[in-house]
Amino acid sequence: MIGPTPAQITEELRNFQARLAEGARTLHGLGPIETGVLPRDPVYQEDKLVLYRYQPRVAEPNPVPLLIVYALVNRPYMMDLQEDRSLIRGLLDAGLDVYLIDWGYPDAGDRHLSLADYVLRYIAHCVDHLRERHQQDSINLLGVCQGGALSLCFTALHPGKVRNLVTMVTPVDFHTPDNVLTHLIRHVDVDLLVDTLGNLPGQLLNFTFLSLSPFRLAGQKYVDLVDILDDVQALQNFLRMEKWIFDSPDQAGEAFRQFAKDFFQQNKLVKGEVVIGGQRVDLRNVTMPVLNVYASQDHLVPPAASKALAGCCGSRDYSELSFKGGHIGIYVSGRAQREVPPAIAAWLLAR
Amino acid sequence: MAEQTAPPDSSGFDIELLLKQARTYLAFGEQLQPLSDRLHETLGQDGDWGEALRQHFDQLKAALAQAADDPGSHADLARLWTVSLDTWQQTAASLGVPATLAPLAGANPAAWQAYQKVQGQYLDLLRQAARDALDLMEQRLGERATAGATVESLRELYNLWVECNEETYGRMLRSPEYGALNGCLLNALLGCYTRGDAPT
Repeated sequence: MIGPTPAQITEELRNFQARLAEGARTLHGLGPIETGVLPRDPVYQEDKLVLYRYQPRVAEPNPVPLLIVYALVNRPYMMDLQEDRSLIRGLLDAGLDVYLIDWGYPDAGDRHLSLADYVLRYIAHCVDHLRERHQQDSINLLGVCQGGALSLCFTALHPGKVRNLVTMVTPVDFHTPDNVLTHLIRHVDVDLLVDTLGNLPGQLLNFTFLSLSPFRLAGQKYVDLVDILDDVQALQNFLRMEKWIFDSPDQAGEAFRQFAKDFFQQNKLVKGEVVIGGQRVDLRNVTMPVLNVYASQDHLVPPAASKALAGCCGSRDYSELSFKGGHIGIYVSGRAQREVPPAIAAWLLAR
Repeated sequence: MAEQTAPPDSSGFDIELLLKQARTYLAFGEQLQPLSDRLHETLGQDGDWGEALRQHFDQLKAALAQAADDPGSHADLARLWTVSLDTWQQTAASLGVPATLAPLAGANPAAWQAYQKVQGQYLDLLRQAARDALDLMEQRLGERATAGATVESLRELYNLWVECNEETYGRMLRSPEYGALNGCLLNALLGCYTRGDAPT
């Protein structure tokens, strides 16, 4: 039964409009939205890439540094979004020495960057920089989403340089039946796309993500926003996330071409058929300890896509951590702060 | 070494996103007011509540069809179910392809026609999903009434409407037909360009 009378609906609409008008003033009065709160120092730079070191939060951090390899999609400040939502903060508090690769914003001059550039040049150089800086033969690597797939490629090609590997919400089998991104890209003419546009515009990626759930992500979310327009802190939290969602760098054309065709369309990673810089990526070479962290309600990288790693990597010390949440919640939810960084740190420190 | 900074256009919130959806929500409220009116009147007269519900949803479907035929005349109402198409057209516009029927300057006319055709097919799928969502919402309201549950507010109705649309849209999205069409839409858009001529 529909309870509200027409008069009640009119009143509800009037209140909505009043809150909107008042809230619009609050919105205009907000200053710039800050993201990435922890102090950090750039320690290495190559082209648009910057490698940052987060200032340790314990007197004697773990001597083996941890390098976070974020996806090429969206920006890495999701890992340190705000004071009380920071996976990196949790890792630092647990005693780790944390570094992160910021890929920057590729432009037209980067359209020819290939996966070989990303894996065998950029990641390799960052790893070598840290090995030398910390006088270690090998370091710990944490790959996030697509960055996890790139980390797997690097690790398979240079297993001696990686002591422990952590993959987070990382797709390995791209052809599980519930993989909606593969479903959407399967019929795209990737060669036509890259040959025509050069780089893949970030806005096209945004469309893809929004089109997965448009009524919630492009509609209801903003109607709900009106409810918190008078709460400056909640509003800032919302806008911080909003900024991240739309802060979507273009993708370097050639790297996107190979990733879309070899990983999404042809599922070569799990088959051991990816070739990078003339070298075949064989996940059986991933023999060091592996922690595979996935989100049980992930709508972008289904758990089955991540868990496939168990069956194709060569590690005898393979563990999984299932987080009850989604692809983004695993970084920013309150429960994630309590559960995920301590678990990763404990796993690393025990090895 | 300098800190990486976002390009200037990626930092601010686009308040138009909020205002558009607020207008859409108000249009939703205006559409639902007559339903509330009719249902309360029917209850007061011991009339057939289910029939009143069915009639109103038939009207909503008719309004939807009308908005589809002439989105300009019911822009806020049309946005209730074309949110995905809106996003696509904004994306295409950012690549230099307007949403209007005017061909892209220099585009091959056949390619342009092909793009318009696929976009029309995309709209048809969205329209079907929206119709299915109205059927589902009618069904859910009927089930709630049978169970003696009451929808307490317009917002609750809106949330139910979103839930139903997400359900039917999600089914459509995962269908082989949509997967193929999604690829065709982008391929057809790209076909409107000469290779290497895309805006930068």
